[in-house]
Amino acid sequence: MSATDTALPASATARTRPRGTLLPRLGTFSLFALPGIALYLAFVLVPVVMSFVSSLTDENAMHPVTHFVGLSNYRQLLSDPSFHRSLGNTALLTAAVVVVPNAVGLGVALLLDRGSRLYRMLRTVFFTPVVLSSVVVSVIWQALLTDDGIINKVLRSLGAEHPPGWLSDPSLALGTVTFIMCWQMLGFCVVVHLAGLQGVPAELMEAAELDGAGPVRRFRHITWPMLAPSVTINTVMLLITAFKTYDQVQVLTNGGPGDGTTATVAFTVITTAFTDNRTGYSAAMSLTMLVLIAVVSVVVLRVLQRREVTL
Amino acid sequence: MHTWLRPLVAVLVTALFFLPLYLVLANVFKPGDAINASPASLPIPASLDNLTTVLTRPDRLFWYGLINSTEITAISVIVLTVVSAMLGHYLARTPGPLSKIVMVGLLCGLMVPPAVIMTPITEVLRTLGLMGTVPGVVVINAGYYVPFGVFVFTGFIKTVPIELEEAAALDGASRLRIFWQVVFPLLRPAAASVLIFLGTWIWNDFLSPLIILGPASGTTVTVGVYRAIGEHQSDYGAVFAFMFLASIPILCFYLAFQKHFVKGLTGGATKG
Repeated sequence: MSATDTALPASATARTRPRGTLLPRLGTFSLFALPGIALYLAFVLVPVVMSFVSSLTDENAMHPVTHFVGLSNYRQLLSDPSFHRSLGNTALLTAAVVVVPNAVGLGVALLLDRGSRLYRMLRTVFFTPVVLSSVVVSVIWQALLTDDGIINKVLRSLGAEHPPGWLSDPSLALGTVTFIMCWQMLGFCVVVHLAGLQGVPAELMEAAELDGAGPVRRFRHITWPMLAPSVTINTVMLLITAFKTYDQVQVLTNGGPGDGTTATVAFTVITTAFTDNRTGYSAAMSLTMLVLIAVVSVVVLRVLQRREVTL
Repeated sequence: MHTWLRPLVAVLVTALFFLPLYLVLANVFKPGDAINASPASLPIPASLDNLTTVLTRPDRLFWYGLINSTEITAISVIVLTVVSAMLGHYLARTPGPLSKIVMVGLLCGLMVPPAVIMTPITEVLRTLGLMGTVPGVVVINAGYYVPFGVFVFTGFIKTVPIELEEAAALDGASRLRIFWQVVFPLLRPAAASVLIFLGTWIWNDFLSPLIILGPASGTTVTVGVYRAIGEHQSDYGAVFAFMFLASIPILCFYLAFQKHFVKGLTGGATKG
């Protein structure tokens, strides 16, 4: 602070940033940076470390004494069918949620890529579920899809004697949960793709049209490559959302029907910790999940960014 | 394509997409027996019974939830905007290894799912005496979303010319004053993105209020919706009305700031 008051020529100060003594710099640090860093440390980094420590113990919220057990929780995970199942469910769900809204969203964006008021209104409709809580979205669909819900009533009135148990049939429930997530995220992808489409130069399209390129070729060689950044944004966002899937499973199926047919990793982590009280084991699960997310995210980002460059 | 075909297809596709939302909206304004008899019909004559039932519940579940949700969302978002704008400014303007380490550390946090840290967070909050309280939810929101805020602000601060700050420094303004009177007003678009995104995420959050607030000290409207389905599994009129009321604030917020919302969402897409 005082350093800026000294009688330095203006040109000298403008080139070299004003530098205080150690104390004012420490003061700036603690004023500007420390609050954010402290909050982040206390509620993200320290908990991750605590999770790691607890994953090496047999910590159980119902038992008073905790023992150090080394890697035994991790070893147990390797042969835990319910953990394997939740990994498989999360992988399937994530794959579908990353691909489907991205692809369908592109179709809708191409359809709505016009400037008039009608199309702007329709875009708002598509984005509404993105703004709603996933709890609300899940309850909406639950009303439609329970065994005697609105959709099955319609199917019965159309003559179906045994309409599908969308949420109660173990072979359908995961697909239903995935579909609901895709429906909710569709508007997000539509909006991002629409912004990407606005970046496609009109002259380029006209020139290609003059050269005799049909709509399919123009899409393949001009629009699609220009949309690479939108695909990246959507994919990253969908990936993060899908990995965390908890609310929909809790509200729609509670992990069932049957034995964990819709349980995701996040859901299994939470129930193992807060319902079964096995906090140590749940911590091992959650750290495994964290490592998997980090690896998948880095690989996906690399691939997408390389694609953006080469296209 | 025929000139009438595109708008027709567009409207039909949108209507199909909107159908589930229509069914909720229509049934909010129908008495219970009408919901079962004709779930898809228009609510004529409209009945406000479902809404009154929710608003006059003896346990005041909706009102307590509304107060908690508003408090949590407003305080969290204000704290996050201030804290992450200042940290973002510091990191963008202070070269050196420390800033880089902090930045990388924060970016890693963007990938951590809440489920991973929920158990230890309850321990931290218990130690601080904040378990089961609104300030408890506020501080964990602040910690969890700081990386997102910093990410948006540092990206934006790089577009603000540093000469402005230097000129203010020459005039003898302190760094705090430079920040609030020169830099922050210029960061308004970034602040709008942070406010809108975090506002909706925090309002809609389910897991942290469910676990941290617990049933005793009331709950948020989002958890309230979940509790309401537990109670009236079959009474969809009441559940829909609860959801409708719980979503109105966030929908109004979205419609009011729609332009900023889309801009914040696609800032990277159009620049890239």
